Amino acid sequence: MKIVRLLLLAVALASLSSAALAQGKAPGKDALLYFIWPQNGAVIKGGFWCRFGLRNMGITHAGEDFQNSGHHHLLIDVNEPLEANEPIPQDKNHLHFGAGQTEARIELPPGKHTLQLVLGDAKHYPFNPPLVSEKITITVK
Amino acid sequence: MRDKVRDIHSARNNPPPRAMTTPRRLAAIVAGDISGYSRLMQLDEEGTHARVKRIQRDVVEPSIAEHHGRLVKTTGDGFFAIFDSPVEAVRCGVVIQQNMLGRNASLPLDHRIEYRIGVNLGDVIIEEDDIYGDGVNIASRLESIADPGQVFISGGIYEQIKHKLVCGYESLGDRKVKNITDPVRVYRVLPDPAAFNQARRRRENILITLLSSVLLVIAGGALWHWLPVPPGNVRDQASTQVSPEVPRPPPAKQSAQPPQPSPSAAPATKEAARQDRLPALVPPAPKQAPSQLQATAPATPASPPPVREPEMNMLRGGTFMMGSNDDNSEKPVHQVTIKPFAISKYPISVREWNDCAAAKACAFVATGKDDAPVTNVSWSDARQFAGWLAGVTRKPYRLPTEAEWEYAARGGTQTRYWWGDELVSGMANCKGCIDVAAVEQPARVGSFKPNPFGLYDMGGAVDQWVEDCWHKNYGGAPTDGSAWTEGDCGSHVIRSGSWKNDARYVRPANRDNYDTSVRYPTHGFRVALSP
Repeated sequence: MKIVRLLLLAVALASLSSAALAQGKAPGKDALLYFIWPQNGAVIKGGFWCRFGLRNMGITHAGEDFQNSGHHHLLIDVNEPLEANEPIPQDKNHLHFGAGQTEARIELPPGKHTLQLVLGDAKHYPFNPPLVSEKITITVK
Repeated sequence: MRDKVRDIHSARNNPPPRAMTTPRRLAAIVAGDISGYSRLMQLDEEGTHARVKRIQRDVVEPSIAEHHGRLVKTTGDGFFAIFDSPVEAVRCGVVIQQNMLGRNASLPLDHRIEYRIGVNLGDVIIEEDDIYGDGVNIASRLESIADPGQVFISGGIYEQIKHKLVCGYESLGDRKVKNITDPVRVYRVLPDPAAFNQARRRRENILITLLSSVLLVIAGGALWHWLPVPPGNVRDQASTQVSPEVPRPPPAKQSAQPPQPSPSAAPATKEAARQDRLPALVPPAPKQAPSQLQATAPATPASPPPVREPEMNMLRGGTFMMGSNDDNSEKPVHQVTIKPFAISKYPISVREWNDCAAAKACAFVATGKDDAPVTNVSWSDARQFAGWLAGVTRKPYRLPTEAEWEYAARGGTQTRYWWGDELVSGMANCKGCIDVAAVEQPARVGSFKPNPFGLYDMGGAVDQWVEDCWHKNYGGAPTDGSAWTEGDCGSHVIRSGSWKNDARYVRPANRDNYDTSVRYPTHGFRVALSP
């Protein structure tokens, strides 16, 4: 009896963990997320238009669960790793573009900053494996 | 409207001489008109006229501008707009329809104003205040075959947007339209892909439900074996599953009571605390006594439950300094005068939201515990709720303005937090602000201390939408406490920060923004009421 119960528990735990992992959808084949502008190492005066590039996948309004599409998130000066099983955070360092924007006017204080794009699915979760751009460093004068 | 369409026709047949010299261009044409306009006019001529004008001013014109279109002309009940981009044109159509949905939610059926919208791509002749060409006629034909509340697009538009604007599109085949030789391919736009994928979703949902119930049984068995479950928990779980209508202290319905004597610190806090413990002692306004009785009595399936109004705290108006120097978005600190208003004591709960969903006036049924704050609502969703509540209670419920929110959140203080300048553990539901993290987030409304105005969760818990459009700082902000609605309304202001944000975000001055019609799992709201 004890063994049966143990087995049941093991099954429950295993299925729970697989259910938790099921959130991350696979990104499109050969999908590529990148910055059209600015480029790594750019030195910028004042505000700038940050332009997001995406290949082999589509952009859609957040909340719309369509195959092979997602919406942009811009991470500014974020050092913590992305949580695969949590929605992409929403704060002043994690900007969301759920209306399907592909560019944004960004104003940052002078100094060095890192920028990185992350594609989120309809529910703002990162894909699995996450579809992220190269993390670039820019200097604002 | 029909006359106007005929006008365009005659214009096409006999193009005015000026048109010959006017350059042609390719444009996406949006034609919209109100279905049953004459009927509405018959019902209430002046009222309808005023409402239509207001809708044109508040919904149609801003939506067109927001999508970089140009309103070419308006007729009594319709409009024509042109866009450079087909995607923007269709988006604009969808936005107008969704806005109308919200506005209509609280109205009786025969008073609803519903637009039919057609979008076509065509080579047109554009003049100062009118447009001409086949393309325009097709747009207006599409509009005339569209059902009220729908957007119909032509094949040309569809080809342009199918991979860019991800909505559902339902092909209606080739349609012969009046006075146009070639048949036109017509698609219906389904802005809510849920409608499109409904069947598939339903199947998935059944599977998920089955799977989760199996999991629950297994996990429950395991837990039962491993853990001595505290009896309180068992009862809680049972009651939420079996009867979500477990009587909770009925709302005090303060909105109907005379204003609270003073928003100043001590008495208000005591008052709030007292009400919390002894809700039954709050004398209800006489005319609401029956509904109070009903709310306490066990719900009978026969009679629909009375509308649950959120508990409201009446705040005396006043003058305060809005903003701070902690973040660029909060500058400049400026003086604002607030008129007396009431604001809900807690963020709107899942239970309150689901009353609206049950009335089919809110877009979705919220999941989670009944007394948890509702989350995953967009600004448009929040507005829909307020509109519904206003309709059923006949009281002007609305979202608070940004200035009202900050005034209410400060609770008469000018410090960094409402309790002082230093972070105190356990005062607000934010990341790193509590010693023991709550097991289930977001914690139920009112789990933390109220501020001096007796308001709960003004900072932390859930982000809260306010009426104002986003502006990156307070340069040019109104000082009379009204909502700041000029400018880019593609995003609206959120306040409070959520349980996922750190202490910087629970400051009453903190402000952020989010896309107007996008839902996010930490976003909720509260409602306000002008006396």
